[in-house]
Amino acid sequence: MKVKILKETANELKIEIEGAGHTLCNLLQKILLEDENVDLAGYDIPHPLASNPIVYVRTKGKAKPKQALLNALKKAKDINKEFSKTFEKALKKI
Amino acid sequence: MEIKVLEKDDSNMRFLVKGVDVQYVNTLRRLMLAEVPCMAIDEVVVIENSSVLQDEFIAHRLGLIPLKTNLDEYNLPEECPCKSEFGCNLCRVTLTLDAEAKEGTRTIYSGELISENPEIVPVKENIPIMKLTKGQKLKLEAYARLGRGKKHAKWQPVSLCAYKYFPKIEILEKNCDNCGKCVEICPRKVLAKTDGKVEVRDLMACTLCQDCVEACPKNPPAIQVKWEKNSFIFNLESTGALPPERIVKEALKILDGQLKEIEKQIR
Ligand code: SF4
Ligand code: SF4
Ligand SMILES: [Zn+2]
Repeated sequence: MKVKILKETANELKIEIEGAGHTLCNLLQKILLEDENVDLAGYDIPHPLASNPIVYVRTKGKAKPKQALLNALKKAKDINKEFSKTFEKALKKI
Repeated sequence: MEIKVLEKDDSNMRFLVKGVDVQYVNTLRRLMLAEVPCMAIDEVVVIENSSVLQDEFIAHRLGLIPLKTNLDEYNLPEECPCKSEFGCNLCRVTLTLDAEAKEGTRTIYSGELISENPEIVPVKENIPIMKLTKGQKLKLEAYARLGRGKKHAKWQPVSLCAYKYFPKIEILEKNCDNCGKCVEICPRKVLAKTDGKVEVRDLMACTLCQDCVEACPKNPPAIQVKWEKNSFIFNLESTGALPPERIVKEALKILDGQLKEIEKQIR
């Protein structure tokens, strides 16, 4: 998984994630959109087989888009960790 | 968040998750289908084949036989330190097949594949590979490797992997005249008619098909089928390659790894 930054300005960030797909990007988009500092978040896979997804984030006011993305990644990791723990516990109960 | 295992055995698992987004469950589902690795035959060297089927045809059939997988002892070929195209003991398992029909037509089964590692064998011994008639022979060497479902479906550790929303059925008793039409039409026998009213008998069996709502003669219908937004029933059936709970755990691990990797690179 290699990340290429295509565009970075005060409020915009566009990155290409090599080897990712809907699996990861759809989750990231959802979490990004929950952030009230995020104006717009989305991703595009230009070609279903031959290209990598491009994730786009636009923030409001002073909020940095990179920070918004980092926050989203952190949040996704936290959900994953909680799921992991709860799942282990549920397995022990049977 | 809440998880409850509803059913589990060696190859099946059904669990209930509450308090997560649909996007997250879908990510897990996609990871299990396309990214959790398992073993499958990937290369076949045919030494002798006097059967009626071509080599390629047999190789394809062999590839689709699910193999028991040990993820802790084997590496994915692209991640193996050997860096060789052919593979080493850490990324490849050799299976051999030497079959002949001496006495008349017979079927060759997966159980005749002899593996160099007794842990990496076909999940079942009775999967038919092909038929040989008297005098025909098949001798080959097959190499199994770890791979991911996104490259080929033979590397998919799950045969069924799906979730549905947790159903919510409401019966408005004051509108319902207990005609029983909804009970009759339900394909999953979710509803039952008891003295004087319609009751939900087996809520989790409901597929949200809405047939009962359409069948209700009342307008508006006296029965309503809805679903809980953040609750899901997840159904998972392993091919036998890995235990179902291991497949879920691997998916969680892969997601964590991918998120960390991206975080590291954009920081
Ligand atoms: S929605 Fe379909 S499965 Fe569910 S109760 Fe109605 S008819 Fe039965
Ligand atoms: S079909 Fe409608 S009216 Fe008839 S029993 Fe079912 S809910 Fe009641
Ligand atoms: Zn190797």
